[in-house]
Amino acid sequence: MRNVNRKSLLSVFLLLVSPFLRAQEIKLPAEVEKLSATAKEIVEVKMDGPMLRWASKFLSAEDPDEQKAAKLVQNLKSIYVRNFEFDKENAYSSTEVDSLRSQFGPPVWSRVVGVRSERDGENVDVYFKLENEKMAGIVIIAAERRELTFVNIVGPIEVDQLADLGGEFGIPRLKTKPSSSNPLAKVEKGDHK
Amino acid sequence: MNPPNEDMKHIDEFLKTALRREEAPPGFAEGILARVEQQPTVKPKEEHVPWFHLFSRPLVRWAAFATVFASLIAGSIHYRNVRREQAKGEAAKQQLMLALHIAGSKLQLARSKVNGIQTSQPDHERETNRSRSKS
Repeated sequence: MRNVNRKSLLSVFLLLVSPFLRAQEIKLPAEVEKLSATAKEIVEVKMDGPMLRWASKFLSAEDPDEQKAAKLVQNLKSIYVRNFEFDKENAYSSTEVDSLRSQFGPPVWSRVVGVRSERDGENVDVYFKLENEKMAGIVIIAAERRELTFVNIVGPIEVDQLADLGGEFGIPRLKTKPSSSNPLAKVEKGDHK
Repeated sequence: MNPPNEDMKHIDEFLKTALRREEAPPGFAEGILARVEQQPTVKPKEEHVPWFHLFSRPLVRWAAFATVFASLIAGSIHYRNVRREQAKGEAAKQQLMLALHIAGSKLQLARSKVNGIQTSQPDHERETNRSRSKS
């Protein structure tokens, strides 16, 4: 009888708590959402765990990229990507990007890369979420002259493997010098702002 | 030599004796029945009917037609569902690959920027950093 009571209490508690758990999902600020109206092209991909698992069933075992992708997503909980492409430069201001960045800070998120380039107008931020010293999520905010990209991947992820997939689809890989086994870790020290 | 009437009498007598009614010995009928039962029964020869003669009956014909028609419909529905599921899966796969590609390319952008900063760093500064990290 006592067990039944405990179970029912637990289920009631979970029911009450679940909306708050959902509320922890990252949402794009209203300022950023508004950019949809002015963007030339918008890409939005939102996939949760079961969807990822299902989609990965259709990945070919013969294609090396798809093989990599299948390996990469097998333990992921969700992927969210939003990409805005604009016709002209300066279609968005730093306020929108700052409102996006402000969601990610300590103690949950640590910024491992923060690049600000006045010359190219390309600013990139990479945040890691660590749980028990293990990678539990990554957020990438890339603000370019005609493009704004937000990526949020939840779950254990191999950053190098993910970067490898960036050079596929017929787009040439960015030739970078393999200066260390984990190039992202180097920036953590400098944290260019 | 006997006269012909005498001969006829003899024959008549003989026939009467031969054809006289006689009672069957006791147990005769039971014996006959027992022997009949012992003999293997001969089954009447079955007439061989080809299987397709079944369809000569209109009810069977209609039932067969309905079964084939229902199977065809069920098969086509199943096939369409499988195709639809496959198309959805392919679309989901494309989305997943696109998301990973965007994420990967932005990571590479970050990486290239970082490497660019490192290579443009003056030599003496890099040396200082290296010696600091060693200590």
